[in-house]
Amino acid sequence: MKILEARDYVVNNLKYALNPKSIAVVGASRYPTKVGYKVVYELMKWGFKGTIYPVNPRADQILGLKCYHTLRDIKESVDLVFVAVPAHLVTQIVNDAIEIKAKVLVVATSAFKEIGREKLQNDIVNTCRKAKLPFIGPNLVGLGSPYHHFNCGFIPYLPVEGPIAMISQSGANLLAALGTSQADHFGMSFFVGLGNKADVDFAEFIEYAGQDPHTKCLAIYIEGLDSPEAFISSCKKVDKPIVVIKVGGSKIGVKAAFAHTASENPNGDEYYDKVIKDAGAIRAQTWQEFLDVSLALGYLPPLKDDKVVMITNGGGAGLLSCDHFERLGMPLHELKDISPMLAQRIRAYMPMFGSPLNPVDISGTATVIQYKGAFQQALRDPNVDGVLGAICPTAVTDVLGVAKAAIEVYESTKDLNKPFIMICQGGEECHEAIKLLREHNIPAYPTAEQAVNAMVALYKYGKSKK
Amino acid sequence: MEKQYKIGTEEQQAYFKDYNIAPKGCAFLEPGIVAKDSKEFVAFNIAKSFYQVYPEVFNLTYVSKKVGLDKDEIAKRIKRMYDEKLFMLVSNSYVGIMGFGLYYWLVKLKKDTTKEEREALTKRFQENDQICTGYMMEEGGDFDYFNGNHMRNLDNLVYGVLDKFRSNRCVEYVHILPIRRLVRESHVNMFDCKEDYRHYFWSDEQLKNVLKMQKKMDKYDFAIIDALNNCGSIANMFDYDVLAKLSGLNAEEMRTDIMKIVDDQKTIIPMIYFNYASLGLKLHFFAVSLFQNTPTYRVEQICDELAKEPAFENIFDCCDGHHNFILSAYEGITDLDKIREKILSYGEVIEVLEANSPRQFRRWTCRLDDKNGFYEECIFTDDVLLDRSKE
Repeated sequence: MKILEARDYVVNNLKYALNPKSIAVVGASRYPTKVGYKVVYELMKWGFKGTIYPVNPRADQILGLKCYHTLRDIKESVDLVFVAVPAHLVTQIVNDAIEIKAKVLVVATSAFKEIGREKLQNDIVNTCRKAKLPFIGPNLVGLGSPYHHFNCGFIPYLPVEGPIAMISQSGANLLAALGTSQADHFGMSFFVGLGNKADVDFAEFIEYAGQDPHTKCLAIYIEGLDSPEAFISSCKKVDKPIVVIKVGGSKIGVKAAFAHTASENPNGDEYYDKVIKDAGAIRAQTWQEFLDVSLALGYLPPLKDDKVVMITNGGGAGLLSCDHFERLGMPLHELKDISPMLAQRIRAYMPMFGSPLNPVDISGTATVIQYKGAFQQALRDPNVDGVLGAICPTAVTDVLGVAKAAIEVYESTKDLNKPFIMICQGGEECHEAIKLLREHNIPAYPTAEQAVNAMVALYKYGKSKK
Repeated sequence: MEKQYKIGTEEQQAYFKDYNIAPKGCAFLEPGIVAKDSKEFVAFNIAKSFYQVYPEVFNLTYVSKKVGLDKDEIAKRIKRMYDEKLFMLVSNSYVGIMGFGLYYWLVKLKKDTTKEEREALTKRFQENDQICTGYMMEEGGDFDYFNGNHMRNLDNLVYGVLDKFRSNRCVEYVHILPIRRLVRESHVNMFDCKEDYRHYFWSDEQLKNVLKMQKKMDKYDFAIIDALNNCGSIANMFDYDVLAKLSGLNAEEMRTDIMKIVDDQKTIIPMIYFNYASLGLKLHFFAVSLFQNTPTYRVEQICDELAKEPAFENIFDCCDGHHNFILSAYEGITDLDKIREKILSYGEVIEVLEANSPRQFRRWTCRLDDKNGFYEECIFTDDVLLDRSKE
């Protein structure tokens, strides 16, 4: 339901959604095959430090914890009520949650507005708003934070710790991102599925993320925007990069978005282009771009200007990159135009057949020492705003050695506040190198285009800050 | 025109004009079938989820009139009976219409079966989620277990369930008993009864005796369960205003929806299950076999005659198996000699096996093992879309 601006009581209470001291799981199950069991199990497995109150009228004990037959039977204070029961039970549970003065309500349950039960959903929202109980959902997968060891929902794993707050209407895509986080070290501060976002809206989580000390970048997946004014206003209040992917713009996508999260899209895609632009956010077009750009904006400072130097041992990667830079409206400059002295100095790190143009091709025989010297020279040069490195493994390339050298250089030049992005295109050793680099806060990607997208996003964000 | 298969209607007859087989299709695509989470089921689902805490989901005004106690007292008794695990709100679905086969099977163990072997099998049956209903018999009877599955095909039963244990050293035989007619279960006449559909049976003798042999339930408690089960239209069973208040849904719509599937289409029977084991009662089972040359019409006549006996708690009519009827009545409160005499009075009867059951594992997917902490845990057991022969 529409809001005109983020509500203070909601923003203030969201800390209980992501770092609660106590949680009641309504619909907790005794049976390991059921989702209500998994919610409690995953909370325990990932080391939630607070108190868990399973609620199930048929059970006395779940996973060794005392089980309560109703919320009202819990006499201690409850920060978060997580609901995983059928829709027709939610009304009474909401009343109980209000009665026990819960701080925030998260409803995973489906079968509300998205199947035509708009009145039921709205009645529940109105009850919650009257009682000032923030209601997240319904129809969501869960939420959590690796910093608080908090995994709440139908979620198999927590992401690795990192700077990105992911706010997603889609549970499936959120889970995909969590999988990516585990597999490719995509670090997150917190994540939340909003589902139908019947009450708590994007705007409120945006403002919460703005205050969250672990969050450096917001990644937002949108299927429908009920409250564009609030969205724009909250984005403007937040001094952190915001990356948005807005789906449901195609003819059939409009219908699919409603069937999925009851999202309504009366306006064309251009409308959302404008809303996102007015909000000062960056719009990604594909899921991969969304992740790639968020990663860079989360880990790195903005690019102050467009003087980017690319250092590669493969000419092909260099060509893919410079073409893509130009396609995105940020063509590379020749090295001699950026820094004539650097063009001279960097020759020391390449064979005779290398190229000091830009991309700087230090050739397929490049050693760890050559890479390290070239990276250092480029990053230390005051005329260079950012560096893009590329590893294209040949029979003599020590991929992990180069990655470690890149980390060393980056650590020693951090104070210069310059973006440093890596491409590692190749097989398993490159995947290992990407993970290693990301573990040390260097965004690294398997393809040139992904890395260029990330660098250009840093440039756009830098420009927008000016 | 789409066939609705309504029991006892012209439409049902129209169907049988076209085909001489029972409906047996692709489950959820059979006409008239609605999913358990569909809006038609909402009233039952709300009551099922809340009655443990809110006895007022039942129509206490109606029960009060029928039983002669005030509503508060009835609510208290319902709550107490639930807390003491004496009863449970359940539902049975008409598997014949849903396209499932209902396959029961009877297990006989060898005489030299050890205690450990028996316990291991009991544990297996208790924990096997594919078994929807099951009974353990006391040692020393003519057979040892009577379990059932609702399944799409026999291969899934054989590969997925029976093959897992029937080659055990201690198993003498397993008799598969496909159910032709589900006549009575847990005292309630089911979809395939000839008359008194949805009626809840107890004999006067049983009621009189059960009140003498225990103190957990008095005549009013039994009367409350009787009133809820013998409520006639499902409109009388629940208080739809309470259901609406709890759920936020429309009372009248819920009432109309559930009447459609219970009263009109007759595809589901919401009922109160009486948990006999909690009173220390034992069910005495009779596995009745008729001569193979008994004509089908005669088999069914005998079944219908037996069904007039209110003392039977279960009446299963089987086909293509070693036994024709599985009947049960409580030991200790029923004159079992009289029942046996009645069964043996039919010249068609070739053999009657008997055994006592002190324990029911599950009833229609719902676990009853309180000792394991799983009382009323319902496990979805169907095998639609599965091919267990490849497992």
